Amino acid sequence: MDLTKQLEQDVFVRLKQNLDEIEKLLGNSSDVVKRDFFIMNNNTFEATLIYIDGLVDETKIEETVLAPLLNNNRDLQFLSELTKSEEIATALTKKLLLIPSINKVSTFQDVINELLAGNTVLFVDHCVQCFVLATQGWDTRGIEEPQSDTVIRGPRDGFVESIRANTALVRRRIRDPMFRLQSLQIGKRSKTDVAIAYIDGVVREGLVDEVLERLNRIKIDAILESNYIEEFIDDAPNSPFMTVQGSERPDKIAAGIYEGKVAIFVDNTPFVLLVPTHFWTFLNTSDDYYTQYWMGSFFRFIRYIAFIISLTLPSLFVMLVSFHQEMIPTPLAITIAAGREIVPLPILLEALIMELAFELMREAGLRMPKQIGQAVSIVGSLIIGQAAVEAGLVSPIMVIVVATTGIASFAIPNYFASVSIRLIRFPILIASGVLGLLGFATIFVVVLIHALSLRSFGEPYLAPVFPFSSSDQKDTLFRAPWWAKEKRPADVKDEPERESENQKPSPEK
Amino acid sequence: MKKIMICCTFLSLLFCVGLFGKEEIDDLAMVMAVGVDKAENGEIWVTAQVVRPADARGDAGVGGTEGDPIWTATGEGKTIFEAIRNLARFSSRRIYWGHNAIIVISEEVARDGIVDVIDFFTRNNELRMRTWIVVTEKKANEVVAVKTGLEVIPGRSLDRLFRYSPIVAEAPRTDVMSLSASYIGEHVHPYLAMVRLRSRGVDPENPKEFGSIPQIELSGIAVFRDDQMVGRLNPRESRGFLWFVEDVGNAIIPLSCPDEEGPVSVELRDNRFQLTPNYKNGKVSFIATVETVTDLVELGCPTELEHSEVMEDLESDVAAYIKKDIEVMLEKVQKEFKVDAIKLGRAFQAKYPQYWNDLKDDWDEIFPEIEVKVNVKVELNNPQLLENPTRKGKD
Repeated sequence: MDLTKQLEQDVFVRLKQNLDEIEKLLGNSSDVVKRDFFIMNNNTFEATLIYIDGLVDETKIEETVLAPLLNNNRDLQFLSELTKSEEIATALTKKLLLIPSINKVSTFQDVINELLAGNTVLFVDHCVQCFVLATQGWDTRGIEEPQSDTVIRGPRDGFVESIRANTALVRRRIRDPMFRLQSLQIGKRSKTDVAIAYIDGVVREGLVDEVLERLNRIKIDAILESNYIEEFIDDAPNSPFMTVQGSERPDKIAAGIYEGKVAIFVDNTPFVLLVPTHFWTFLNTSDDYYTQYWMGSFFRFIRYIAFIISLTLPSLFVMLVSFHQEMIPTPLAITIAAGREIVPLPILLEALIMELAFELMREAGLRMPKQIGQAVSIVGSLIIGQAAVEAGLVSPIMVIVVATTGIASFAIPNYFASVSIRLIRFPILIASGVLGLLGFATIFVVVLIHALSLRSFGEPYLAPVFPFSSSDQKDTLFRAPWWAKEKRPADVKDEPERESENQKPSPEK
Repeated sequence: MKKIMICCTFLSLLFCVGLFGKEEIDDLAMVMAVGVDKAENGEIWVTAQVVRPADARGDAGVGGTEGDPIWTATGEGKTIFEAIRNLARFSSRRIYWGHNAIIVISEEVARDGIVDVIDFFTRNNELRMRTWIVVTEKKANEVVAVKTGLEVIPGRSLDRLFRYSPIVAEAPRTDVMSLSASYIGEHVHPYLAMVRLRSRGVDPENPKEFGSIPQIELSGIAVFRDDQMVGRLNPRESRGFLWFVEDVGNAIIPLSCPDEEGPVSVELRDNRFQLTPNYKNGKVSFIATVETVTDLVELGCPTELEHSEVMEDLESDVAAYIKKDIEVMLEKVQKEFKVDAIKLGRAFQAKYPQYWNDLKDDWDEIFPEIEVKVNVKVELNNPQLLENPTRKGKD
C-alpha cells in the first residue's frame, strides 16, 4: 500500500491496530515516544500517548494529561458503564483531561501532521477518534536585539525563529480588531507555517487575495527561510532589485502594516517579509521616524548621497581618468596622474581589482568567527590600503575612491539592498571603463529604465517619485514631522486619514 | 537561447570596440603653457611646458625623486600643427591640451599676424576657450620655460597671475574666447595682455645676485589691428584702457601729500564707468564718466590737518590722476594706433543703431577724430582704522 492511501485511512477502533499503523508510517524513529497506560487503572480502557521527543513540553503532558488520567482516587464508577466510543470521548474531554486545547481527528493524515507539529496524540482502545493535545513546546532563542537594521533610538526587540512569538510581537503593536492573521502551510515535506498579517480596511483592496494566490501557487518540498517565499512571489525574479522587503524589526513590520502593506511571517526564520515594497524604503530606517524630524531628514539625505556614491563613484572616477581628463580640475588631474605614475595596471583593471579585494575582505570578515573577523579586516585594510600603494600596485586615489564607495555602501541600512546596488555597480564600472561617458550613460539609463518598469504587487517600484505623488513627498526625500503627515501613503484606498488635522503644537491663543 | 546569444554578441562587441579613444591620464603629456615663436627662417617654433606629475607631486604617496616639475620642449615646423606634431618626436607621452592654462605669443609673431594662432587654438577640440592668451615682447619660449611664481608648476602660476590681476589692474584678462570674439566682431579690434620677464626673483642662498631670478610680470596691453599687433600700452596707459573694457578692480593710485612732502596711496574700491555717445551735426563724440569710491590706505605726511580735511584735497588729485590715465591712453589709441580697441563703436551702435549703418564703413577713419570728454568723480571716504593721521607725539 502506498503512502498516500495509508495516510487517507481513518483511524481504527482497536488500539493495537492504530499503533501498528503509526509504526509503519513513521518507521522506527528513535524520537517517537509511546506511553501505554490504563485510564484510571481500569483494565478495560487501554490507552497510548504518542509524541515526538523534543517538540513537546513533557511537564505539561505530565500535569495535564497523565496526572488526571492515572489518578485513581476519584470516583470512576461512571467509566465502567460507558460502552459507546462517543461517550468515552465526551467523558475524556469534558471530565478528565486538564489540557486547555483538545482536538479530535479521525484520519492518519491528521494524526501524523499533528504529531510532527509537536502535539501529543492520545489513542484510546475502542474509540473511533483520537485526541490531539496541544503540547507544543521546544527551546527557542530569546528575543534579542536584531543584528541587522540596528537603531540608536527605538525598540530593541527583534523577531525570533518561532512564528507564534513573531506574530505576537506584531500583534502587541497593533491592538486593532481589524488586524487579521491568516495561516497556511507551505512545503510538501517541511509543512512550514506561514502567516500573512494585515489590517482589514487599511490594506489596499485585492492585495490580500493577490498575496494568498501567489503563496498558494508555491509547490515545493521545503521552506527553510523566508527568501524561498520571496523568490517565489517576486514580481521581478531576474532583477537585481528586490521587490520584497525583509526585516527583523517588529516595529518596522507593524509600521508597514499600518501603511496598508501585508506582512508574511514564515516559521523558523526571524526575517518577516513586507509587500508591496518601494525602492526608497530600503534607504529608510526606523530611526528616521524616532528622532526629531530635522535629524531624521538629514540622516535620510546622507543615505541618499551614500546610495549615489556607492552606485557611481568608481565608475565616474574610471570614466574621467581614462576618457575625459579635461573634466578634471587641473590640480586634481596632476595629482591623479602623479599617483598613477608607477601603477602598472590600466585604471579599469585597477578599479576592478580593488573592488574585488574589498568584496573579499567584506566576505571574509563576515564568514569568520567574530574575533577572527576583526583580524581579517585589519590585515586586509593594511594590505589594501597601505602596502598596495607603497608597492606601487594601486594609486592612492583609487584606494580612497574604493574605500569611500565601500563606506557609502555600508551606510545603506538594508544589507541586501546594499549588496544589490553593489552588483549593479560592476556593469556600470566596466561600461564606463570601456566606453567612457557613453558607456556610463548607457548602462545607467538601462538600469533606470529597468527600475522604472518594475512593480511590486501592483505598485510602481519607484513610487512616489515616479510616478510622482505630491502628498507622499512628506516621507520620501525628507521626513516630515509626525503632526504634518496627515495621510497614509497614496496607495491606501479605504482609510487615508492617519491623524487629525492641525496638531502642530503651539501656544494657546 | 536566442536571447543569450544576442546578449553574448553585444557583450563581445563591447569589448571589441573596447577602449576605443581611451587614453589614461598617465599616458598624457599635460601641457600647462605653450609659447609660439618665429624662427629666422620663417618657421614656427612651438614650445610646450609639460607637467611631470610625479615630480610636481613628490609627496603624493608614491615616491618620485625631487626633479623638475616641468619638462619643456620645442618643436618646429612650417605650421603650428606641424610644429606640435614634431614635439611628439621626443615626447614619450601624447601631447594633451585639455589643461593648458596659457598661450604666449611673441611680439614678432603678433606683429606678423596671429590669424593662424586664433584658428588653430579655437579649432582644436582639446583646448579650452578660457585659455589665457598673452603677448610677450621677446621670445615666448623663454617665458614658457622660466620658473615663476609660487606654484609648483609655472603654468599654474601664470593662470593665477590672471586670477588676481584686478589687484594691480595693469593688464586685461584676455582669453581665446574674447580674442576670437573681438577678431570676428565687426569694427572692433583685439587686444591682448602683455607679459615680460624681469629679474625680480630673490634667491636667499645667493645674496650677491639678489633679485636676479627672472619672473613673469604683467606689463601692459598689446593692441591689434585685425590680427596684427600695432603697438603696446604701458601699465599706466593700460589702466586707462581697462576702464573701457573691464573693471579696474582694486588698483592703487600713488600721490603725494597736498601741501607737504610725503607719499599717499589711495585704493579704488567701488568703480562705475559709463560711456555716453553723442551724435550732433554729423559729429560723433563721447562722454566717459568715471565714478569711484576709494579708500585712503597710506598717508605719509605729518600733517596738522585732520583726515577729513586732507581727503577733500586728495579727491581732486585722484580725479586728475585717473583723468590723465585715460587721456594719455586715448591719445595713443586714437592718434597713434588708430584702432578702435576700446569698443567705442559698440557703444555708439547700441545707442544710435539708426546712424551706425551710415558710419560703420568709415569708422576706422572717424575713430581717431572722435572727441572723448572724461569726467571723473571721486569719493574718498574711508581712512580705514586710523581716525587721525599718524603724527609724532612729542609736541
